[in-house]
Amino acid sequence: MHFKLPWRNLWRNPRRTLIIMAAVIIGVWSMVFLSALMRGMSENMFENGISILTGDLQIHQKGYRSDPVIENSMSNPGEVKRVLAETLPEGARWASRIRVNAIAQNARHSAGITFVGVDPDKEKYVSFIKPAAVSEGKYLSEGDQRRILVGKALLEKFETRIGHKIVIMAQDTNGEIASKAFRIGGVFRSELSSTEKQYVFVSKDAAKELLRLSSGISEFAVLLEDHKRVDQIAGRIAEKLPEGYEVHTWKDLLPMMKAWTAMIDGFNLIWYVVVFIAMGFGIINTLLMAVYERMREFGMLKALGMKPVWIIRNVLCESFYILFLGIVIGDIIGLLSLAPLFQSGLDLSAMAVGAEMAGLSRVIFPSLNPNDMILANTVVLFSGLLVTLYPAVEAARITPVEAMMKT
Amino acid sequence: MSIEIKMAWRNLWRNPRRTVLSAAAIAFAGTLLVFMLSWQFGAYESMINSSVKINTGHLQIQAKGYQENSDIRLEIPDPESLISFLEKLGDVEAYTSRAIAFSLASSEDRTYGAAVVGIDPDQEVRVSTIKRMIRKGSYLSSSDTNQALVGKLLARNLSAGVGDELTLLGQGLDGSIAATVVQVKGIYSSGMDEFDRSSIQLPLNYFQTVYTMRGGVHKIVVNVKSLDCVSAVKKRIAEKLTTVDSKKPLVVLDWKELNPGLVQSITMDLASGAIFYLILIIVSGFSIMNTFLMSVFERTKEFGVLMAIGTAPGRLIKVLLIESTLLTLAGVVISMVSGAAITLYFQIHGFDFAGASELLNQYGVSGRMYTRLTPVSLLAGPITVMAVTFITALPPAMRIRRLKIVEAISFQ
Amino acid sequence: MKIVESINVSKTYQQGKVAVNALKNVNLTIEKGEFMALAGPSGSGKTTLLNLIGGLDLPGEGKIIVNGNDYSKMNPSQLAELRLFKIGFVFQAYNLIPVLSAVENVEYVMLLQGAPEKERKEKAERILDEVGLGDKYSRRPNELSGGQQQRVAVARAIVSNPAIVLADEPTANLDSKTGDGLLTLMKKINEKKQVTFIFSTHDRMVMEYAARMVHIRDGQVAEDTKK
Repeated sequence: MHFKLPWRNLWRNPRRTLIIMAAVIIGVWSMVFLSALMRGMSENMFENGISILTGDLQIHQKGYRSDPVIENSMSNPGEVKRVLAETLPEGARWASRIRVNAIAQNARHSAGITFVGVDPDKEKYVSFIKPAAVSEGKYLSEGDQRRILVGKALLEKFETRIGHKIVIMAQDTNGEIASKAFRIGGVFRSELSSTEKQYVFVSKDAAKELLRLSSGISEFAVLLEDHKRVDQIAGRIAEKLPEGYEVHTWKDLLPMMKAWTAMIDGFNLIWYVVVFIAMGFGIINTLLMAVYERMREFGMLKALGMKPVWIIRNVLCESFYILFLGIVIGDIIGLLSLAPLFQSGLDLSAMAVGAEMAGLSRVIFPSLNPNDMILANTVVLFSGLLVTLYPAVEAARITPVEAMMKT
Repeated sequence: MSIEIKMAWRNLWRNPRRTVLSAAAIAFAGTLLVFMLSWQFGAYESMINSSVKINTGHLQIQAKGYQENSDIRLEIPDPESLISFLEKLGDVEAYTSRAIAFSLASSEDRTYGAAVVGIDPDQEVRVSTIKRMIRKGSYLSSSDTNQALVGKLLARNLSAGVGDELTLLGQGLDGSIAATVVQVKGIYSSGMDEFDRSSIQLPLNYFQTVYTMRGGVHKIVVNVKSLDCVSAVKKRIAEKLTTVDSKKPLVVLDWKELNPGLVQSITMDLASGAIFYLILIIVSGFSIMNTFLMSVFERTKEFGVLMAIGTAPGRLIKVLLIESTLLTLAGVVISMVSGAAITLYFQIHGFDFAGASELLNQYGVSGRMYTRLTPVSLLAGPITVMAVTFITALPPAMRIRRLKIVEAISFQ
Repeated sequence: MKIVESINVSKTYQQGKVAVNALKNVNLTIEKGEFMALAGPSGSGKTTLLNLIGGLDLPGEGKIIVNGNDYSKMNPSQLAELRLFKIGFVFQAYNLIPVLSAVENVEYVMLLQGAPEKERKEKAERILDEVGLGDKYSRRPNELSGGQQQRVAVARAIVSNPAIVLADEPTANLDSKTGDGLLTLMKKINEKKQVTFIFSTHDRMVMEYAARMVHIRDGQVAEDTKK
């Protein structure tokens, strides 16, 4: 009875109920839909960010980060490998790299690039530079001495082709400028054209030879299965490593991305609150009207001995039905409207350069985070009930005599 | 005052609570829109300004293809004739020439690649903010020769300080090796990492000698009086360029073409903003639709009486629409006043964006953000809200046409 | 002179899923200057007949002719015009415009008729004086008692010198003393201005005042007596 009465009251004026429910539905839909898009963007940014060599965390020689030169490389990578083998959870992958800033040059062009020596067999599990990223030619193989992988955008900028030569100049361990000609053995593609212009890849052996390096390594990059555990695992690695190393998570390595992610989270919450306020006014108003035109009834119920708390409960119950139905329908419509985007993604190619400035791919896929949805639904439901207290208390305060005088 | 307006106004105050709540809902949405749009415009303006001031200027004259492919050979061989033309051109505030060559920069024990830029110290000050960005040491003077300004991040990478020597090694225009030793005279920080990590500035004359430019430059950067006259000036320069006899054709690019990423970032932000605003307005519309519906519904009997004594339905609809317009207008006016007040506050005091300053720097916005109240940001939101609420009020008002007098009179 | 003619009027209402015969073959003629009452229990059809005479509704069958105008040949806006100029209404209760003051309520009808402002004001005040509300011009309906409100309603009904005033249970919400006062007022107006008054009522006091009584029962004229 307690649940049936408010339900029937709701449908005494179906049009009014449907209108306010529409406000709730559109609000909830916008929360679900837009937060999934925003979340998709932020995850896309994150994935682009960590796949461009960052990984979840990195280990460097102390001082390398502020002065990334070959002298600051690790001389004893073996001990790092041992620690990684002991601490990393199952499913985690790591790769070590040699990485220096260098100049790439051919007959007509030159540019500053980052020259990276990798273990092809390990690297392909850790970062974007894997066989699938190579659009022309072949991926590197272990011990490749002369082949180099360059990005498509760099290839175009240098007006060159696969099989042609490119000269890399970099400072070697003795501080001398070393240079060597490599043959373009493969062209890689990346989500971001800046990545294609920035990096060139050779095998670790080839890099060692150019830089006159015996055993040194610039960095270890680790990719975890569960990105959320990064802080915990980074802490554990840092504990076990001897002095002289630094462990950085992506949050330290990509402060921009951290700021973006935080901004998107904050933005989502602000959006929830703003939409809620916009519909909150409507909820208060609608229920106030519903309560006022039934004042006689409430007075009568009170005369029959109904306690004010029951009246409050009745009004809250009505509001709960509106909110609950609105939320459920809003969620469903949200999911339905996201469905095609899960398939095809949101195409940003028209704004590719702008998207790239934000580290976004050309096509964004929404990402449905249950927590976002739960947060949105909770904000609406609880704040909705909270504002309903106002009309509810108004209804409960009426005395039978006052109520009978109202018409 | 006509009787309709009088009736509409008094009707609004029959249920002050409902009216105030509805007006507040409109005012809330409107205020938010005024503020958010002003905020976006403020951000865009500072993004554009800083990008224009730090780097690109409003317009640039370049050899065709230089923008895509900064080849040292794509030069402007005779900048003097263009400069004398610019001098006479109205609306031009300042101009300067730059020449750029990609080179290796080495300090005592570090080597990095960098864009070495030849600048005219006297003219450059009038175009860009580089002089004000000097953090250590001092700016170049026109009599300097082998002196250089270095970006903060590049200086750190090279571990070079003021007074240290850098060796520059590159390729001259004629294909010869260009090499020189320069002394760091100043270190600057623009906040834009990309710029601070990759540039070295030399006096233009010295640059032209080292890189065998024979008087040629790569860019003539032009600033005009305001953003509004960019296109007019661009057109006049473009006309002039067709008459210039040059081995390689010359083009003039405006700041949008020089910064496609910036323009698209702004478009993307505006577009996504518009989606959010639209949804907000629709939710608000539904929120107050009930107010209009109820105010018609609960007065059914009254309308019946009015129609019985001979009032035409059109007159009643008019009253209702005036009513909703007054309500909306009140909300909209409040929103414009409060939106403008909040906006003006932040236009003067700015926002401290300590948490996101790193992020904003990359878009050329310094740590404090300032809103920018413009006629568009003040009016666009409230007018849209007004239009949407007016449309919202139409269906309930139109119900009057379908009202049957007899049923309406006996409506309880 | 005949002011109202009801010729073979029938009216059926659809109430939910049931068809209700509100009026069946009603023939009635009312002369100018009559002060008459349609009496009968609720649901008898008296209000329906009053509404038909007022042109608020149209008969299913038969003809209503008021002041020489055959309603069946008029469109809604002509009907509205007729009501505006020729018919005054007084309803049971709450029939004033709550947002307008007493004098504005009276003026409103003249405004609809397009009378100039000065004339409106003067005339409205004069009529309010006549109905004994000379000191209450600017009161809003909720600041007036029930009887005073009905006096304003009467003032509004007669301000445009109509041929007929239709009053649907005008005294139902009033105590007997106030009702008596209101009826005296209407009777006086009826005599002085020769305005036809038609009431629908089951109030005994109204019936006492009425010069002619038409009893309606089950949608038909059951009795027609003149005093």
